Amino acid sequence: MRRLRLRNPLDVTLPAPPQALRRGPFKEGTFRSRLHEPRTAVVLGRWLGAAVLICFVTGLISHLLQQPPTWLRDHLPSRPVQGYRVTQGLHVISGIAAIPLLGAKLWVVYPRLFSWPPARTVRHALERLGIALLLAALLLELFTGLLNTLQWYPWPFPFRQTHFWLAWIAVGGLLLHIAAKAPEIAAHWRRTKPALPGRRALLGSVAAAVGAVTLVTAGQTVPWLRSLDLLAPRRPDLGPQGLPVNRTAAQAGTVTTPADWRLRVDGPRPYSLTMEELLALPQTDVDLPIACVEGWSASARWGGVRLRDLLDRAGAAHGALVRVTSLERNGPYAVMTMPHTYARDPLTLLALRVNGQALHPDHGYPARIIAPNRPGVLQTKWVSRLEVL
Amino acid sequence: MTARTARTARTLRTALALLGIAGIGYGVYGLLHDPYIRDPLDVLVWGAGAVVLHDGFWLPLVLLAGTALVRRPLLRGGLVVVAALTAVGLPAVLRAGVDHGNPSLLPLPYLRNYLLLLAAVAVAVAVMAAAPHVPGALRAVAAFVRRSLASWRHRPVRGRRLRD
Repeated sequence: MRRLRLRNPLDVTLPAPPQALRRGPFKEGTFRSRLHEPRTAVVLGRWLGAAVLICFVTGLISHLLQQPPTWLRDHLPSRPVQGYRVTQGLHVISGIAAIPLLGAKLWVVYPRLFSWPPARTVRHALERLGIALLLAALLLELFTGLLNTLQWYPWPFPFRQTHFWLAWIAVGGLLLHIAAKAPEIAAHWRRTKPALPGRRALLGSVAAAVGAVTLVTAGQTVPWLRSLDLLAPRRPDLGPQGLPVNRTAAQAGTVTTPADWRLRVDGPRPYSLTMEELLALPQTDVDLPIACVEGWSASARWGGVRLRDLLDRAGAAHGALVRVTSLERNGPYAVMTMPHTYARDPLTLLALRVNGQALHPDHGYPARIIAPNRPGVLQTKWVSRLEVL
Repeated sequence: MTARTARTARTLRTALALLGIAGIGYGVYGLLHDPYIRDPLDVLVWGAGAVVLHDGFWLPLVLLAGTALVRRPLLRGGLVVVAALTAVGLPAVLRAGVDHGNPSLLPLPYLRNYLLLLAAVAVAVAVMAAAPHVPGALRAVAAFVRRSLASWRHRPVRGRRLRD
């Protein structure tokens, strides 16, 4: 019996458009540079791929730390102390590095936008659609990410959610793109001799561009690059008490603290404390970074009362979740919950001082939370209440 | 390639493609169902707009500049670096001073810094362009300095001398 061989529907040939439409950039020989070729695309693609993957993984870490699913919440580690500072610093550094890399990569493959016929088979059409999706997601990711570090939001959608979902589309699109191009990538993975004239110069220029944008922005988180911080939206030593601020007291409506401010602690044995009473408790000083989701970070010496001492006094169980409420009225981070891994860490403080002075209102006077390995938005300022849940 | 490695490669490739499709699917689903994203169409419009602006406006401009104006590789390299610095720094230059009452946001003189960086790139390109001639140039400068010092030392002296 003859076996009937069904054709893969992906390989169905699509009709070519009439030749008369092949005009302008669609004509052969429009793009004259030799460097629009696969080996250059593969080298740049490797650099860009690495940057995108680092950016994705560090972004995912930030997302999980900021908004953990319930099953993960009680397992988030409060160490390494500098963990979030490093991952989020890398997130913004790799994202900025990806800007010139994406630009160069797209320049190299640009002639393929005008390949003729535009779609040979169903597979080819789908692949090109996938590339369009990948490109749109990547461009919008880098654009929104860069502008977010400046707190500039000219678009009509919310930043954080859109940036998160687009990241999945971008990385999914990247994996699909690698799978689609696998044979071509493999064929041009290794250097061939003689080298193509001009390729080294191009790659050198792109490397110089990546180095330049990194050097003049990474100082917002890397201490030894601070003097080169020329274009970053933050300088870690500029701000009240020598520290940058994400949200000021004026923005949060907490410039003046109620005269009868007391810290309320609710738990099995609830109590409340005035500032004098808080200052009379055993004080601890810790060196901890404040690391913002926008990619800047700075170390400071914080002084105050260990959070676990306050929780013990309220009779809190060791594994209890803690809810921290701010005086701030409408901010999305006015209420924060803290798993016990942070609340029980000896470095986690209800801070009353920074660098030897009482907190500036912009840094959360009268009291703020400071914990190791946590995003800045969760280091709640202007604290009024702790609740053992 | 043996049949076995070919099969492994094909399996890996299929797995990668499926993983990618899953990622895209998850992202699209999330985008469509996120309660905070009221109109996912906005995102589509901005994404398509980004592609159109990049591929339809920016890249043709770069290609035109590349073919019509710039033929020297060093100058071209300098322009690549300038383009990158512009893409990363321009938002800060445009928004300098817009800090919503938070002086620690955008606290630097961004336009000045940007222009300084452009100047630094120009100097670097000029130095590298001169690099093949540097040893000779250095010798010439050294000879010039020696001659000047000598004439300084042997000028008609009034009061202080450079040495001795």
